Amino acid sequence: MAHAGEVVDELQRVREAAKERRLVTSAADGSAVAFEQLYRRHCARIHALCLRMTGNVATAEDCTQEAFVQAWRNLRRFETRSAFGTWLHRIAVNAVLQQTRRRAESLGAEDSVEREVADVLADHLTVDPGRSRDLETAIAGLPPGARHVLVLVGVYGHSHEEASQLLGIAVGTCKAQLHRARALLSARLGETEWNHDAG
Amino acid sequence: MTQDEPTAGHAAARLDARLSELPLEVAPGRDLWPDIAARIDERAPPVAPATRRAAWLWQAAAAVVLVAGSSLLTASLLDRSVLQQQSAVPPVPANAHATVVMPAAFGPAGQLDPEYVATRRQLTQVLDQRIAALPTSARAKLEFNLGELRRAADEINAALAEQPGDPLLEELLLKTYQDELAVLSNVSQLTNSLANEPANMPVSPTGERMQL
Repeated sequence: MAHAGEVVDELQRVREAAKERRLVTSAADGSAVAFEQLYRRHCARIHALCLRMTGNVATAEDCTQEAFVQAWRNLRRFETRSAFGTWLHRIAVNAVLQQTRRRAESLGAEDSVEREVADVLADHLTVDPGRSRDLETAIAGLPPGARHVLVLVGVYGHSHEEASQLLGIAVGTCKAQLHRARALLSARLGETEWNHDAG
Repeated sequence: MTQDEPTAGHAAARLDARLSELPLEVAPGRDLWPDIAARIDERAPPVAPATRRAAWLWQAAAAVVLVAGSSLLTASLLDRSVLQQQSAVPPVPANAHATVVMPAAFGPAGQLDPEYVATRRQLTQVLDQRIAALPTSARAKLEFNLGELRRAADEINAALAEQPGDPLLEELLLKTYQDELAVLSNVSQLTNSLANEPANMPVSPTGERMQL
């Protein structure tokens, strides 16, 4: 019987949501202590997003940091009807896009950087680490536009409409980029897996 | 295309499945907080323009967090006469739960949606009738948490009386009511399913029928 457990889970969820709202309100009031707690709650998710979108460890850390700084500066604009995590996610995507434009480089195309990102992500892989590591390496090696769409739609489950809004591109472009990303990944993973089999 | 080559659709589905297995959380290799803290210290914190409003928001939000027995809005800040003037308070139904929260008024002409009020009253009555079916521990937790939610709503209502029309307070209040309604609805569904269970269902020595 799980019904009572479900009620308790629901209460726990309500409590957690209330706690997060309190932290957000307190941080918006200027409490760095409350904001640090928000950082602790969300940094791993935001960092993973930045890591995959940038394909570079150092840039991902910069973007994660920038996202939280921007969140702090704009906390009073945050509307509590949406979840703080969702709002922060959007800020992080903007931070990555700004960083990409500013640096105007494709770090993900460098093989050494791909390996570095895959090494970091490999520590967190639980399902078939070998194959997942290959996948992470392949994602990091995608061109930025295709990688951004693949990460948002394929990994984080956004719709094309949401992803196109986040990235500031047309829905059609988003779909085309995803198609491109899938084709590139399939080709690359096919090679990798064939090589594994051959080896 | 050979027989061994998967179709494009199959390959895409397989790729999507692999993507969905990737971890969504990866902690950074180092603690980024010190750098962030240094940068946010460089600028003034996002202080609200009206300090008094900020104080209210903090207290109201603290109330929502369900701090047991707290009354963060002190008596000196509460002006019950203002509350009575500014909050259109319909009479509490005689058969309503003892801890039913005072309905809020959102501005001079605003009240809670009548449909919401009716649903809430109905769910509260259902809760009163069926709460005995819950195990002792679940009942205690439920009563405690509902009490906390209702106290939080009372305190936000009081804050709204002082700061009528404050959008964040209204947001907090609505969310609190939604949370309460969600809990009531959940309990109602739970007890409904309990009522439909076979009569010969095993009962523990303490009378508990469900496992937590």
